Amino acid sequence: MAGELWVAVMVAAAGTFLMRLLPLVWMQRRLAREDSQGATAAMPKWLGVLGPVMIAAMLGASLVPVAGTLNAWVATAVGGCVTLLVWWKTKSLGWPVVWGVVAFGVVRFLNFVVI
Amino acid sequence: MSVQVVSAGGRAWLRGVRDAIPLLGGYIPVAISFGLIANQAGFSSWEAIIISLVIYAGASQFLFVGMVASGAPLWLVVVMTLLINARHMVYAPNLAPWLTGNRWWFWLMHGLTDQVFALAHTRLPALPSSERLGWFTGAMLLAWFSWVGGTALGAFAGQELTGRWPLLNDVMPFALPALFVVLLAPRFTSWLWAAALGCAIVVALLFAANGLPNMAIPVAALLGAAVFFVMQSNTRAEV
Repeated sequence: MAGELWVAVMVAAAGTFLMRLLPLVWMQRRLAREDSQGATAAMPKWLGVLGPVMIAAMLGASLVPVAGTLNAWVATAVGGCVTLLVWWKTKSLGWPVVWGVVAFGVVRFLNFVVI
Repeated sequence: MSVQVVSAGGRAWLRGVRDAIPLLGGYIPVAISFGLIANQAGFSSWEAIIISLVIYAGASQFLFVGMVASGAPLWLVVVMTLLINARHMVYAPNLAPWLTGNRWWFWLMHGLTDQVFALAHTRLPALPSSERLGWFTGAMLLAWFSWVGGTALGAFAGQELTGRWPLLNDVMPFALPALFVVLLAPRFTSWLWAAALGCAIVVALLFAANGLPNMAIPVAALLGAAVFFVMQSNTRAEV
């Protein structure tokens, strides 16, 4: 890799790191200032809403299957329903994911076997 | 939203590692693809590994190697990489109320990816403050190492792997949406939240399905937040 390409990698890396770090410093200072003024330290309301909707957006974007076939979409729907069902029963983190992936895989595998 | 405090049994970092295991299903296949594509774009295996180690942001890494391979000016490559990663700016402030004063948190922000944020946003409030640093360190390191390890695997043996187990490459990434479903399900606590979250899910799905995955998350999140505030103000006006 040429010298200037290494510089580009390092600038992109440093920029990405700072975009993750600096907002934390800003928010911690804001919370500390509110705390020292005797006010209840709290996040701005818009930020509290943005967190969960960002996760929802990640879910939506990740639902598009690698293979864009009908079977892959059906497998996504089945896997999603099984994940929800197991979460409903267990209220745990790991098992719903395991069973969701298994259900998705079974539907995809059936497609390979049938075709 | 109610927060259930998790009991303090077991080492915190180990709990973090355990909670982050579902991320591997999504990270490793995508990282293998990145290693393979970086190789095909003319980067050596070690260069691909270093990019994963220091930039550590999936979509932008694909864009980075793709643009370099197509001969784009390097300043534009860097600007586009940073633009894609700009969404990360809202993550750390959302976690700030649950982070302790320890300076290590600053370095750990390197590992604040989309998925680690989603996991931490749900788990940190439920942990005692003494366990949060250890938990985040364990979760973040497992995710980071799996990304770098997957890149190495893809760069050194990607073609053989994807040729031998094509279905595995197809199935494992479903671990990510499954994890997001589990993280999001407890947040459907009212019609207001259901509408905002539902809107964000559908809009992101439509964008991603139509070949705009990079725009999907910021646009869908903004629309979801807009739905939340509009519905909230309408409810207040009616009262």
